[in-house]
Amino acid sequence: MTEENKDLNKRLQKFTRKALKATIKGVFFYGIYFVLSMFLAPVSEIVLGFQQMIEVFVMVYIFLMIIGELTAGTIVHHFFSGAKALFVILYLIFALNGGIVGITVQNVNLIVDLRLFLVVAMLLGLLGFAKSVLQAINFLNEKAEHVHF
Amino acid sequence: MKIPIRMISITTTFFWIFLIVFLVSAVYSFRDVRFGFEEPQIGLTSDNKILFSLPITIDNKGYYNIGSFNVTTEILDHEGFMITRASTFIPVIEKSRQVMATHNVTIDANDLQNSQDYLFNDTELEVRETVSIKLAEVIPVQASTNLSMPWGAPLYNFTLGEIEYAGFNGTHMTATVLISFENHASFDLTGNIQIQMYNGTDIQVSEGQTTIETPQNTPYYGRMELNVPIVGATESGYFEVYFSFPSFTLEEPLVIPYD
Repeated sequence: MTEENKDLNKRLQKFTRKALKATIKGVFFYGIYFVLSMFLAPVSEIVLGFQQMIEVFVMVYIFLMIIGELTAGTIVHHFFSGAKALFVILYLIFALNGGIVGITVQNVNLIVDLRLFLVVAMLLGLLGFAKSVLQAINFLNEKAEHVHF
Repeated sequence: MKIPIRMISITTTFFWIFLIVFLVSAVYSFRDVRFGFEEPQIGLTSDNKILFSLPITIDNKGYYNIGSFNVTTEILDHEGFMITRASTFIPVIEKSRQVMATHNVTIDANDLQNSQDYLFNDTELEVRETVSIKLAEVIPVQASTNLSMPWGAPLYNFTLGEIEYAGFNGTHMTATVLISFENHASFDLTGNIQIQMYNGTDIQVSEGQTTIETPQNTPYYGRMELNVPIVGATESGYFEVYFSFPSFTLEEPLVIPYD
């Protein structure tokens, strides 16, 4: 076996490991969504489009998570990680209409004030984003240390 | 730098799990909260205001306490003028507890604009009902609705019948007037009716007073005898009818012509 083939094999193995990790993470995340969706089923019956809203979120989040895992070990991984955190913040702001969710069921207007939840979620999202930035800086730092002049 | 990053990771993961589990369980546990609004009761208060009492039962079988339970009722007339506003507040409904409360709304009939409309004509009132709670004492939820409530006039179709003259004694005669109306209100009507009789030249020729007692949703038929001088009597004229009830007093008389 040539050196080139060995290298290709190694890369393939590495990619398979990443793909496997991404799949496991994706399935695990979907499993959590599946369990939570059972609890949120009564809300979905009342609020039209709620299920769809959650599904879009889960889909995009899993997509970003898989892409992030597949690009692990590169700077792109940290970009996707940051994008994921920003996506969570922005999606929550738009989906929750700034924290005040209003629906009309028959003749009853229902208003749920989720501003406190939104603020906490945004702070956690920002913390996640900060973590990604730190990871990117750390990654570049470590890479720079390995460069021999 | 790896340790701070790991710490941030662990912290955010922990708080995300906590936040999601708390939110989902708070929403899910709301399924097990039962609100019971029983048949409203209508009556009069000790100061003769119209009282609507709505018994409310809240059975909290959820996982969390419910905070700031508030019911607000606003009653408006058909022109949008607010007649009354009332609130009932329960600070905390603990989990696995049942709480009963009575939401009272009072209406002072004297505050009604265009009182005559409400006394003589059935109509509809607009009711704005708002219920607000805090799920798990943290998440505010508010439900509001508009309803229309029928208003039954206490003096519906008030009429004075044909005058029957009798009992001449040389200077005076007795005029008998039939009084009829239907008490469509949801409360008993007790009070005085005073009738002043005017002839065709606007001169008061007689007056009389009667006390009535009419239970809710029943008609009233009565008669009033007026002592009228023969000299002053004319074929046509008008009656001025004054109403005085504990729950309301009509300041302007009701004018009913006769001929």
